[in-house]
This record gives sequence, C-alpha cells and structure tokens, in this order.
Amino acid sequence: MAELIELVWILTKIGAILGPLILSVAYLTYAERKIIGWIQNRNGPNRVGPMGLLQPFADVFKLMFKEVVLPSNANRFLFLVAPLLSLMPALAAWAVIPFGAGLVLTDINAGLLYVLAMTSLGVYGVILAGWAANSKYSMLGAMRSAAQIVSYEIAMGFALVGVLMAAGTMNMSGIVQSQAGPIWNWFWLPLLPLFVVYWISGVAETNRAPFDVAEGESEIVAGFHVEYSGVAFAVFFLAEYANMILISGLAVILFMGGWYSPFHGLPVLGPVFDLVPDLVWFVIKVAGFLYLYLWFRATFPRYRYDQIMRLGWKVLIPVTVVWLVVLALMILAGFGPWFD
Amino acid sequence: MTLFIFYCFAAVLIFAATMVITARNPVHAAMYLVLAFFNSAALWIMAGAEFLGIVLVLVYVGAVMVLFLFVVMMLDINLEKLREGFVRHLYIGLPIAVVMVVQMLLVVGSGIMDPATLPSGDLPIPEDAGNTALLGSVLYTVYVYPFELAAVILLVAIIAAIMLTLRRREGTKHQDPGRQVKVRKEDRLRTVDLPRNQQSGSR
Amino acid sequence: MLEAYLPILLFIIVGLGMGVVLITVGFVLGPHRPNDEKLSPYECGFEAFEDSRMKFDVRYYLVAILFIIFDLEIAFLFPWAIVLDEIGLFGFGAMAVFLGILLIGFLYEWKKGALEWE
Repeated sequence: MAELIELVWILTKIGAILGPLILSVAYLTYAERKIIGWIQNRNGPNRVGPMGLLQPFADVFKLMFKEVVLPSNANRFLFLVAPLLSLMPALAAWAVIPFGAGLVLTDINAGLLYVLAMTSLGVYGVILAGWAANSKYSMLGAMRSAAQIVSYEIAMGFALVGVLMAAGTMNMSGIVQSQAGPIWNWFWLPLLPLFVVYWISGVAETNRAPFDVAEGESEIVAGFHVEYSGVAFAVFFLAEYANMILISGLAVILFMGGWYSPFHGLPVLGPVFDLVPDLVWFVIKVAGFLYLYLWFRATFPRYRYDQIMRLGWKVLIPVTVVWLVVLALMILAGFGPWFD
Repeated sequence: MTLFIFYCFAAVLIFAATMVITARNPVHAAMYLVLAFFNSAALWIMAGAEFLGIVLVLVYVGAVMVLFLFVVMMLDINLEKLREGFVRHLYIGLPIAVVMVVQMLLVVGSGIMDPATLPSGDLPIPEDAGNTALLGSVLYTVYVYPFELAAVILLVAIIAAIMLTLRRREGTKHQDPGRQVKVRKEDRLRTVDLPRNQQSGSR
Repeated sequence: MLEAYLPILLFIIVGLGMGVVLITVGFVLGPHRPNDEKLSPYECGFEAFEDSRMKFDVRYYLVAILFIIFDLEIAFLFPWAIVLDEIGLFGFGAMAVFLGILLIGFLYEWKKGALEWE
C-alpha cells in the first residue's frame, strides 16, 4: 500500500513537470510566431482570442482532427514508433532538472551523464522517421540531420566535461550550488569558450536555424518528417520544442547559475533579490535563452551543409579541447574566485 | 518490488535478444538490439553500476547502434540470401556459440566472480561516494597503463577507419571560405585602358 | 540509490505512454479516407521512381565511426573531470598522455581530409 501511494505521488510530480512543460511548448510556438513577426514588421497571429493568445490551442485541435497518413511504401510499425522515440528522450531528460533549491524530481548522482545519454537517443527518432517513410526527401533529411546531430554531440560532450571539472560533481543540483554567488561567480565567465561552444552545438543538436538543413524548407521541403501529418507530426513538433526548452534549461543550470539571482551573496542587493522565488529566476533565465533561439532564426541565413560539418569538427572540437587543458591547469593552480 | 522490476527487465532483455537473431527485417533486428542494450543498462544500474549503466546507453545505444543503423539501412541487403545463410553458416556458428558458453561457465562458475572472494570485496566503500568518483579515483592512478592502452586502441581505430573508408573523389569543386575572405580587388579585377575611338558606332 | 531511479523509469514510461495516447487520439478523431495519390511518397510533381533507400556516400559512415571513438573519449573524460581535485598532477599527466595520443589521431584525420565535406 505504501508503495502504491509512493508511485501515485511520483506520478503526480511527473504530471506537475509535464503539464507546465507542454503549456510552455504551446506558448513557445506562439511567442516564436509573434516575435519573428515583430522582427519582420508584421503582426503575427492575432485572430484567435485576444492578441491571438488562443492560437496554439487552435493549432493543437486542428492537428488532432487531421488524418494521419500512412504512406503506401512505408514500414508502418517503425513509421509510428519513430515519433515516440523522439518524444520519449525529450521528456524523460526533465526528470533530473532542478528548478529550484531542492525542487527536483530525482537527484541522482550521475545527473549530467543521464541527460547526455538521453539527448543522444534523440537521433533515433530522426533516422527511423526518415527511413520508415520510404521517401527520398525524408531519407536525405534524416541522413543529413543524423550526421549533424552526431557531430555536434561531441563538441557538446567536451563542453560538459569542462563544467564537470569546474563543479567536481555530476549531480545537477550540486553543479548549481557550486556556482553560488553573484553573476561573475557563475561558470559562464571562466568557461566562456565552452559556454559559446555549448550553445552553438545546442542549437545545432535541436536542428534549429541557422543549422536547420535537416528540414530546410526550400531544399528538401521538410526533411525527415515530410510524410508525417496530423498528430504524428505534432509529436515531432512537441519533441523539437521540448528539446529547445531542455537545452536552454541546461544552459541555465550549467553556466548561468541555475536558480540563483544575479546578485546572490552581495551585501544589500543580495537579500532583496533573493526574495524572488528560485523558480522565477530559473524561468526568467530560460526564457532569455529561448529568445536567443528565436532571434537566431529571424537573423541568420542558413548554413550550407559542408560549412556545418566544418564548424563542428574543425572549429568547435579543437576550441573545447584546448580550453579543457587550460581549465585543468586553472583548477590545479586554484585560479581566481572559482577554483579555490 | 525491486525483484519484480528486475524480472521485467530480464524478460524483456531475453525476448529482445531472441528477436535480434530471428527478426526478418535487419532494421527491426537492430532496433531489438537497441532494446536489449537498454534493458541490460537498466539491469546494470540495478546491480549498482550506475556509471557503467548510463555509459552503456550513451556509447552503445547512442553511438554504436547509430552506426549499425546507418549501415543496415543504407546497404541493400538481400533478405533472401540472409535467410539461406542462417542454416548454411550453422556448422561454424554453433561450435563458436558452444565455446563461448563454456568460457562463460568457466568464469562465472569457478567462483572467481564471487563478490566475497574478490580482493576489493572487504574494502570499506564510503556510502555517500558516487560510483563515478570511485571509478575515477582508481582508473587514472592504479590502472593508468590499461587506460593509456585504451587511447592507443582508439588511435588504431581512427587510423583504420580512415584507411578503409576514405576515398577522395576526383573533380569535386568546393569552396574554401578562408580563401574567399582573403580575396582582394587586385586578384579579381583588371582595369584596362582602351584607346578611345576605335569604332565610333559600337554603342 | 535505486529509489532515485524509480522516478526516471516512471518518467520514461509516461513519456512513451503520452506519445502512444496522442497518436491513438489522432487515429480515433481524424478522418480515414486513403487514396493512391495521397499515400504515394511526396515527390515534385511526378510519380516516384527508384527505391528511396539508396546507397549513401561513405563519408556518412566515417562520421559515425569517428563519432563512436570520440564518444568513448568523452566517457573516459567524465570520471576524470570529477576526481581531478583528488588525483592532482599525476591524474592530469595521465589524461594529458591520453589526449595527446588521440590528438595524433585527430591531426591524422584532419591532414587526410577525412573532415572535409566536398
């Protein structure tokens, strides 16, 4: 009986994470259309509800009532499994994300490793979707996308190693706690090159502009999910946006001091700003990173495929390796306020 | 409940492993192999090997199986021929399987693997120390030679992979962004003074 | 330690379950009126010809192999990064040799043009 209650309690907590997450995905799509609209001097959606605020729900219901087309040459089983495989890791990684001090579903020791393992599973959804649909565009999109995700994962892994060295733990809450202090105590400063590399590879991992050759509308129509329609397409969409929020959340936890206010630990400002709840600081910072995603999409032209591969292998990886060595020396020498 | 979860994972693992060798479609077989790896990772974690379990997912599921899928999907594998091969190669496959089973029995059955008899079995393990930290504290000090050996093996793997697969294609045209940026006006543009009125009607 | 992994197991199950529910809802609510044209793979204006499961450039395989090797390298770096404080200079030296050996491989790759995407 006690076990049953515990199970229900855990499921409630999972619901408390997933509910707001899915709502954020819905409003991220709204924000994306609105903000890119404003950047391009348009209005964006403004018909459904006040200021178009109900637009995301209209989209969801539209997709639910659309036919799910199963292409005639497709491998039906894998065609339907692929969206599940891309949604599962995008959601499951949230299990170890701390939203505030002690506000985490489960605080495992190998938290960061778990997140890296989960994000590395995302590539299956893409490959299987492309292959199962048996269409040339999806195949091309899947291959491009898989090679790209795989290449940037290495750069990202190296950047994460830098964070581990600085924090000395893989526990997500532990990483945030080791950054306790005002804004210049956070890891973005001593790990600046790794922070930049992490963010670039994060954008590339989620296949977002300017690294969106995988779905480049003007070349291969929609890449690996050309043949998907209705809810099956919506699941891919949900996974992509959940991944964007995840990458932003990780950026906040690993480099931007997680739930701490920018003035934490300062004489007068510190206590005043600490009155704002942890969760609010976390959400504000995540929103900032999400805005960067949208800003990039509105600003940068798409990279060409050979340029993407060149950037990943020949620029980002050497930069991270050099900085790891510098960082190791800094830590052994007890350099600055970060590694005493 | 732990025992129940263990048997669930074990059952799925055995089912998936069986499907790997019996599935008709090679892509399905590869996906069952992914499932098998995933379940064995769960079993490792249940056995207390937290770091190794997650690394199994990271390296095998996240990287090795991606390569498998690439190969299986993109090479035109003739299914009928594969079917025939199943019986034809049995006479060589069966002895190898038997040898491996005997080897495993020798290792597991002989009692060397018994936790009680392991040299480290009676070392005090601090409760709060993470699995990964313990591993790290010996891997780079006590076992430093095997560790460097791993680097050499990886180096061999890199070189072998490149030697075996890299073919330069002739006659491809590609851009070098560095050179493009360095271009100056003098390299591209030639100003010529033409005598003024050679043909007055050429407008 | 195991109790900490139970929520993860549940989360994975819930994540998969959510996908299954969504797609089932789509099949139940959506219309189902297939025809040959609708079910044919999308291609610009004409009937699809040839099988779409074509052979790909060997470069894709090379990228996948190199990815495995570097992924392993990252797996080796993880425990090292955590205990760097304890193992000090000796540990740093061990990793420096490790990375040095792999650097040779990386330079070889670079010089051979394996990272070039033509």
